[in-house]
Amino acid sequence: MKRSTTPSSDRLTRRWTILAWPDWVIGIASVVALLLLWELAVRLELLSARSFPMPSKLAQTLWTLVTVGFPRGITAWVHVQATVLRILKGYIVGVTLAIPIGLIIGRSTMLEQMARPVITFARSVATISLLPLAVAWFGVGELTRVFLITYAVFWVVLTSVIDGVKQVDPNYIRAAQILGTSPSQIFTRVVLPASLPRIFAGMKVALGLAFLVIVAVEMIGTIEGLGALIQEARTFYRSDASMVGMFFMALFGFALAKGLDLLEKLLLPWATGLEEVER
Amino acid sequence: MKDKTFSRNLWISWLGVLIVLLAWQMITSLQLINPSIFPSPYQVAQAAFERVSLTELMEHVRASLTRVIFGFAIGAGIGIFVGVVSGWYRWLGKIVWTPIELLRPIPPLAWISLALIWFGLGESSKIFIIFLAAFFPVVTNAYKGMLSIDPDLLRVGQTMGLQGLRLLWKIALPASLPDIATGIRVGWSLSFGSLVAAEMLAAKTGLGYMIMNAREQGEISIIVYGILLIGLLNLLTDNLIYRFILKHQLKWHFSTQPSS
Repeated sequence: MKRSTTPSSDRLTRRWTILAWPDWVIGIASVVALLLLWELAVRLELLSARSFPMPSKLAQTLWTLVTVGFPRGITAWVHVQATVLRILKGYIVGVTLAIPIGLIIGRSTMLEQMARPVITFARSVATISLLPLAVAWFGVGELTRVFLITYAVFWVVLTSVIDGVKQVDPNYIRAAQILGTSPSQIFTRVVLPASLPRIFAGMKVALGLAFLVIVAVEMIGTIEGLGALIQEARTFYRSDASMVGMFFMALFGFALAKGLDLLEKLLLPWATGLEEVER
Repeated sequence: MKDKTFSRNLWISWLGVLIVLLAWQMITSLQLINPSIFPSPYQVAQAAFERVSLTELMEHVRASLTRVIFGFAIGAGIGIFVGVVSGWYRWLGKIVWTPIELLRPIPPLAWISLALIWFGLGESSKIFIIFLAAFFPVVTNAYKGMLSIDPDLLRVGQTMGLQGLRLLWKIALPASLPDIATGIRVGWSLSFGSLVAAEMLAAKTGLGYMIMNAREQGEISIIVYGILLIGLLNLLTDNLIYRFILKHQLKWHFSTQPSS
């Protein structure tokens, strides 16, 4: 988040020496200060230890989760692994279905117009509301979870593929035609690379969405996974376990976002300046 | 000319919907899938008319909408405030932004256990979840909007004699409105999704409860009806927000439009 300084910050820099510190120092300092305040508030009994377990207690719980597990025997590693695998399965199926279908729909104006309202509606359907239906179809098992993630991913990626194909500069295609490129090569050499940046943006949004859906989906019928961990914590009234579970989610979500940014830079060096604001 | 293509497009669009509905009806009528777990559109419509009275339905819709609007209004309001203020006063931004950045990747629904421990089973736990769902996208976009204001705009404002809060109100805030609008739309759809989930896990009213209840009674048609209703409501409200933004944003920004 670099930017040129605004007049107001020029003025403030002179008055507030804190601004001279590097950003990460201020960031760490503010987080540490918050944790200390929290610890203090619980120790002075301003906050109830049951609802707001202190950071020192959370560190303990974190250690127990890594070594013993919660529920007993299911360690943090098992939870994270279960969640990651589910997301990956649903994600891969969703993307693999969406890309070819999107390429076909996007190339035909007629098909695109026919599909548009259906796609818009399917996107508006709250994925989580499909849970009871999916349970009736596939039972309370892995298939239900993977299906729901696939659903969430599919429509978002499909939309971005269609938009990506539609926004390919027609001049590129004409140029390729003049140069005698065959229709199938135009597809693989021109249309696909030119629409990839947008597809990738959609894939990023979809991954965030999958992450959102998995939490809800894991709250029913399983004890493995980060969502299940949080649900267990609720059953046993363990706010500390719940907070540790959320800590892992934050870590995982953060790593996911950073990893995708990196991947995009490596795979699509020609995609500069396209930023998707959705999360 | 323009009207003609528009009405033709509309016609084709409806044709698409019709084809999907017909295919759905065909699949079930031909018994390709067991209709008791995959009801036909006709069955769904029949169940909707016969088994869910209008007053009952209105009660669920009202409960859901009240929750989501309430939670969203608080979340978006505080989100805009925190985003704008922390974007304006750089020192404040540097202090508050790291904690926000750390909490942001946690899905709103993951807070549900804490929400129930903190607020109990009542309305406030659900409103808290929706608040979070709205807050993070709005605060992020508002902050981003404030940081990406063209410095020349602010210099022009200062040259014209605007200072301090007046500069913020007259120049910075309007300039960051497109980003805030994006945040509001993302926040709304996230709020809506979280609402349904929260209602399914812990509520006695609302559309999420309605489908969860139908599941316990094994009424698949009602589940499908509920899913369609939630989708429709989401689509409708998002469209209203989009139109509102488009109408009001045009006052400041003739060239840019919020992404659809």
